[in-house]
Amino acid sequence: MTKLNRRDFLKHSSAAAAFAATPGLAFSQVIGSSASFADYRALVCVFLFGGNDSFNMLVPRSDAEYAVYAASRQNLAIAQQDLLPINPVTSDGVQYGLHPSMSALQNVFEQSGAAAFVTNVGPLIEPTTKDQFFSKSVALPPQLFSHNDQQDQWSSLKGNATSKTGWAGRMADLIRTGVSGQQMATNASLFGSNLFQSADETVAYVMGSEGPVQFEGFSTDPGSLFYEQRVAFQRIVDAGYGSIYERGFADIQNRAIQAADTVSNAIASAPPMATVFPQSQLGTQLATVARLIAVRDELQMQRQLFFVAAGGFDSHDNQIDDQPDLLGGVSDAMAAFYSATVELGISDSVTSFTQSDFGRTLTSNGDGTDHAWGGNQLVLGGAVRGRDLYGSYPLLQIGGDDDVSGGRMIPTTSADQYAATLAKWFGIADADLDVVAPNLANFALRDLGFMIQV
Amino acid sequence: MTSPKLTSILASLALGIAGCGGGSSGGSQQEPPPPAPDLATKAEAFQLLNQATFGATEAEAQRVMTLGVEAWVEDQMKRPASLQLPHMRNLPPRENAGLLQQDRVDIWFRNALHGDDQLRQRVAFALSEIMVVSQQGALIEAPFSLASYYDLLVENAFGNYRDLIEDVTLHPAMGVYLSMLGNERPDPASNIRPDENYARELMQLFSIGLVKLNGDGSARLDGQNQAIPTYDQSIIEGFAHVYTGWTYAGFANFEDAFRTPFNQVVPMQLYADFHDTGTKKVLNGVELPAGQTGAADLAAALDNIFDHPNVGPFIALRLIHRLVTSNPSPGYVERVAGVFNDNGSGIRGDLAAVVRKILLDDEARPDMRIEIDGKVKEPLLRLTQLWRAFGARSASGRYPLLASYILFGQGPLQSPSVFNFFRPFYAPPGEIRDSRLVAPELQIATEYQNTVMTNLMFLQCFALNHTNGALGADDVFIDFAEEMNLAGDTDALITRVADKLLAGDISATLRQEIAGMVNRIPESNSVIRAAETIYLIVTSPEYAYQL
Repeated sequence: MTKLNRRDFLKHSSAAAAFAATPGLAFSQVIGSSASFADYRALVCVFLFGGNDSFNMLVPRSDAEYAVYAASRQNLAIAQQDLLPINPVTSDGVQYGLHPSMSALQNVFEQSGAAAFVTNVGPLIEPTTKDQFFSKSVALPPQLFSHNDQQDQWSSLKGNATSKTGWAGRMADLIRTGVSGQQMATNASLFGSNLFQSADETVAYVMGSEGPVQFEGFSTDPGSLFYEQRVAFQRIVDAGYGSIYERGFADIQNRAIQAADTVSNAIASAPPMATVFPQSQLGTQLATVARLIAVRDELQMQRQLFFVAAGGFDSHDNQIDDQPDLLGGVSDAMAAFYSATVELGISDSVTSFTQSDFGRTLTSNGDGTDHAWGGNQLVLGGAVRGRDLYGSYPLLQIGGDDDVSGGRMIPTTSADQYAATLAKWFGIADADLDVVAPNLANFALRDLGFMIQV
Repeated sequence: MTSPKLTSILASLALGIAGCGGGSSGGSQQEPPPPAPDLATKAEAFQLLNQATFGATEAEAQRVMTLGVEAWVEDQMKRPASLQLPHMRNLPPRENAGLLQQDRVDIWFRNALHGDDQLRQRVAFALSEIMVVSQQGALIEAPFSLASYYDLLVENAFGNYRDLIEDVTLHPAMGVYLSMLGNERPDPASNIRPDENYARELMQLFSIGLVKLNGDGSARLDGQNQAIPTYDQSIIEGFAHVYTGWTYAGFANFEDAFRTPFNQVVPMQLYADFHDTGTKKVLNGVELPAGQTGAADLAAALDNIFDHPNVGPFIALRLIHRLVTSNPSPGYVERVAGVFNDNGSGIRGDLAAVVRKILLDDEARPDMRIEIDGKVKEPLLRLTQLWRAFGARSASGRYPLLASYILFGQGPLQSPSVFNFFRPFYAPPGEIRDSRLVAPELQIATEYQNTVMTNLMFLQCFALNHTNGALGADDVFIDFAEEMNLAGDTDALITRVADKLLAGDISATLRQEIAGMVNRIPESNSVIRAAETIYLIVTSPEYAYQL
């Protein structure tokens, strides 16, 4: 049998080549700014995995529009009288309400003025009409309606390019020299590693939902046998290895050792908070984020990007039964998080925002919905120009101008614009916004206006 | 010397281990084979066993050395399958589904650790990471259905791929997981269209993937250097209309059907009046004609997928990933895909032939190791290898590790989504990503997960061992009596454990660091000396590496 020269393999890796598409944008040329920041800001991405049926989260309640919604959604429509009314400061002529389980959020929207919705937003490469969609006369993001591809689109904004970085990762790379004194990575995840925070230069720190875990076998007591354990462990991890896999594994062990001490010690010093968080997965993660933000000075943090998430939104079945817990859970956890930032006195410096694979079909498959495209996202924080709706909320008409099939709404606002607005508030210079959001230049508005940009 | 914290961890952690009779470590009960030169080296034997079982043991390595790699594989393929459902059915009644899920995980561990059909079990596990169903979701209430699904993977592991995808498609666990069960023909008056979930995922994840492939697994590119999609939305809709009218068996009406102990473990039944009878657009320009029965539509649709040229390289790459290496050469993928396409006797889809090819190809046993050979061991396989090598068992005989996913980042049929615990093309930042290589298992090797695993190994070595008289009936403990006998001689102790876990191939640094730590421990404390040695090896990068 002829022996293939496997060293030639590196010239054309089958695994990577399976993903070869158009040449990617040169994200590795991110230079950014070395300026440091005078203040502290944090973004918290709340990813709703599965595709949130957000046209049942923010619903038109004025009679004419509600009738269209109800006719489209049939057995999945929320009863008009059950919607929680909201009164945005600017009006598009339509009145809106929230899903009945979202009273906590209604309160933040109406009373605190610290919540806003960005409507019918989704991945786009350029502005797209229904005709253009069918004639394919504009560039479209690939694999629409596929979970992992659309999670990747929201995370990376890559359009048709190949990209292994996410927009949070690119932001961290852009600012890295300016924040080099930070004791923890700019990007922190409480829900596993993710593309959103992947970068060329910086690495996200992954914790559990309750924070970092300490190594059991290490002791700081010089009298203990395990005092030397950490030294030995570190030397094993620092050794040279002959395979990429050993080196990759050792690299992660090394980061774990370094960060566990630093971050755990800092969190331990955080004073207890009065704000009560729901005991859900999302509530637990956001409570930990609040604790981490509370010790930002001790960790010398100036800019932070947190990733938390909740699953279960892929409501192909039992949507009517499941939505109250799903949406109520988001409402309670995010409202509690906002309260915590108020308690810490930094609500103006922390902005949380949702992302999700896609919105869902207006039409039903019997007891649930399928994958769609445009959907509504929520932004929360003291710096949000709140109590308002942004973007263009479509008429929820099957077969209407915004429907590409089965009640899948073409986004009228792009995920790039959404990200760029948040990035600008975070402190990314205008010229660098195109690195964060590569398709931004195709859209008229670089800033959707939902943040108070100072 | 157990710290208070360790004691409380011990108390609260419901790690159960079942002792079990039999097992492959005892080797065969036949008369010993006539003396013959070894047909494989110990290193080759360990390498094969870490690819083809739930962890190399010295006893099994001896069998490989005696039989040779090829004969060992053939012998494995003849062994009867170890199943889950019969065990589940013999259990006493339980109060709730959670306890039964615990039982399901228990029998999985027993089969993985002690089953004689190691290769079949390992391949079934690989298939369970490709054709994913999970208890996370609605199936948390259906442990018997999940056990039955796993059994179908075990029974089909050396069968034909076409039978496998048909059995998978019609199993009610998959029906629930990806919404084909209860999927109905369109009802325009109520704005109801067929659910597309299964149509999409069967193609994207179980058979052909998103883009057209060459035989070596690389993407085919068009004139503009772009990858070519395998299907579009209209084809998904076509398949979605095929998969209509199926639900739980045994009812007079589609709408009345619900899950029963009987029908949750048998194939879904077709209820003709809920099957769409229009034309259906499928792959390769084919349109299924109107008026076919649901069964005829299904058979034609599955044939249509099965015949797609992508299936060979798609399945070849994924099985190579699970068993042998994360970065195979294009030639290796092509050779294995070629066997899928034709097993040598004109049969397409022969999984036994594919597995044989994966394990017997030269690339599975390279003469000269290069830095991309092999892979990172999955956390569960790191655990089972340790447990097989050290005879891990509990007083009760059980391994009730329902918390497997929480503890180790993965567990049998416990994936967080249909995309498995990690994606096939994950690449961590740094050298691997920069070289356009992949290491899927590193996606769950985060700081958090690695630390949790390291801590569990600490607990295992220092507390959950055979010397601890205060263990609970379900606590899984390892037995290192043999190592304790060598504890007076540091070098011999390290060599013994390295022989058991690393085929004797331990780096100078690791040996040196272990020796440094062991020599700080009084010679008389053989328990701690042995525990420390095992701990530092099982948490090391070289143990995490599978060549």
